Amino acid sequence: MLGKLIKHETRATSRIFLPLYGALLILTIFTKLALAFGAPDFFSDNVATNPVIEVVLGISFTLYFIAVVALSVMTLVMIIQRFYKNLFTDEGYLMFSLPVKTWELVLSKLLVGLIWSAVCTLMIVISFFILSLGSFTMMDLTQGISMAYTEFYSTFGTSLNVLIFEIMMLIVVSTISSILMIYVSIAIGQLFNQHRIVASFGAYIVITIALQIIGSILMAIFALGNLDAVISQGQDGEAMQMIHLLINGSTLCNVILCVGFYFATQYIMKNRLNLE
Amino acid sequence: MTILSTKNLTKTYGKKTALSQINIEIPRGRIIGLLGPNGSGKSTFIKLAAGLLVPTDGEIIIAGEAPGVDTKAKVSYLSERTYLNDWMRVSEIIAFFEDFYEDFNRIKAENMLKDLNINPDDRLKTMSKGTKEKVQLILVMSRQAQLYLLDEPIGGVDPAARDYILNTIITNYKEDAAVIISTHLIADIEQILDDIIFINQGELVMSSSVDEIREAHNKSVDGLFREVFKC
Amino acid sequence: MKWYIDSDRPIYKQLVEQIELRIISGVYTPGDKLESVREMAMDAGVNPNTMQKALAELERMELVFAQRTSGRFITEDLKVIEEAKKNLAVQEIGAFLEKMKKLGMGRNEILALMEKIEEGEKEDDHIKH
Repeated sequence: MLGKLIKHETRATSRIFLPLYGALLILTIFTKLALAFGAPDFFSDNVATNPVIEVVLGISFTLYFIAVVALSVMTLVMIIQRFYKNLFTDEGYLMFSLPVKTWELVLSKLLVGLIWSAVCTLMIVISFFILSLGSFTMMDLTQGISMAYTEFYSTFGTSLNVLIFEIMMLIVVSTISSILMIYVSIAIGQLFNQHRIVASFGAYIVITIALQIIGSILMAIFALGNLDAVISQGQDGEAMQMIHLLINGSTLCNVILCVGFYFATQYIMKNRLNLE
Repeated sequence: MTILSTKNLTKTYGKKTALSQINIEIPRGRIIGLLGPNGSGKSTFIKLAAGLLVPTDGEIIIAGEAPGVDTKAKVSYLSERTYLNDWMRVSEIIAFFEDFYEDFNRIKAENMLKDLNINPDDRLKTMSKGTKEKVQLILVMSRQAQLYLLDEPIGGVDPAARDYILNTIITNYKEDAAVIISTHLIADIEQILDDIIFINQGELVMSSSVDEIREAHNKSVDGLFREVFKC
Repeated sequence: MKWYIDSDRPIYKQLVEQIELRIISGVYTPGDKLESVREMAMDAGVNPNTMQKALAELERMELVFAQRTSGRFITEDLKVIEEAKKNLAVQEIGAFLEKMKKLGMGRNEILALMEKIEEGEKEDDHIKH
């Protein structure tokens, strides 16, 4: 059943995202071509550019940035909307009548939301890459990367890969916890008989504030416990240790949040559902 | 053989009591009318049976189990609301039902769509409310369920479609299934009912077969209802 | 075929009456096979359980009999149908006389009126032909 829910969820969301991705790619390619053919030396200071091309490029870049912003915003909007509209408005009558478990409903939306977030980021990175093609060679790129690795190793004694991995973990887990935080806020809103949307926003704000406070306290404790590392200003192994600790600590905190938000959402949906 | 039974079934929202101490047994092979004024608790009862609400107290048992994944596979629920995704085509929602419900009969659904002149390629959002309600009803009746819960199935529908719907309920009749129809349009459906349950203000007022009512009170169920619930 | 269903009385009784009438008046001939319960219920717009109850009653009255695998049939026993016809006629006449009594009409008045009406009908027939 989970697979079917995921399939359905993907189908429902692709119809919005695929055209947007298409638009982004088209704009990227168009901008790139305009740059390449109309103003190959756009980024160097000495050469003047044809004013017509400048206008075209100006519009193109603007549209491009709008597309990037729209895509990011849309991803967030979809995550909220799919959870709220599909489960807590009239469509909820259909979804909750299906012979599926509550956790499957939550998980299917979470996974699809996560994937679209990743794809969104990926698409933006790819489009940046396309735009910047030609201003460096593959040689430059590979050289730059291997230099980063070697310097890192010589300074800190460990591979850069470890740090990259830990950062990626943090990004993934914190994305999941952000999504779940949205879900639990929507679920909390459902506990009220009236003004549910306002209550959801309220819940979100309250949770955010609570997390900020707790986060600050934890950071303060952390910093106090690692004063020497803070003072040494990062030129040795201890500082890197601290950074690892910080990153992994955050990851752990996010995992705890994920678990908390998930079970709270599940509980509310299973035991306190009250569709209007 | 009972398909649905409740024991002291109660549902409260804070201070408000929607259903109180309901005790009923619904046998298979019967068509039951769940009747009562607006706000009497009919919808609450149906939602509890559909697994959309959790009892505050007491229990509700369907085919031997509490409402959950297993009962949802055996229960076909028609809500009063239009619960279909607007962006889908009719053919897509049929595929959706087929995907999630093993007992869904695609051919039956397609035949009913043809009978009612509904084009499967149409998008739901282009349809009138009445047509959407018909689609929903077709989806619900195309399942070979053990319990059908119909919440106001003929409310927003024209008289010809109304007859078609009642006819569909009759033709769909199975000895091992029960149909619970919650409505306030009693006169229109009386003929097809076996039993009725009167609910008022969350309480069970009367539970009887329709013939018992006609013989005991010398009037139709509709007539009796008007008397009992006179404003 | 038109069914006259009134929600004020048990529906199965009305079905029994109407089927009985059809048997007596020859719409259903002796030995005829009846459609399935479901089809008859659909035709009448009633619950199959109700139609089932009506048919069971007709079986009890011996106007209809069931053969396990082949379905239900109208009885071929003409005596039973005659009995039913007579009983129905007696009922109708009884009700008719009751009503006439309420109008204050005596037996001779009724008979005279009946003859007059029958004459009138015969004349109409003559005129038509």
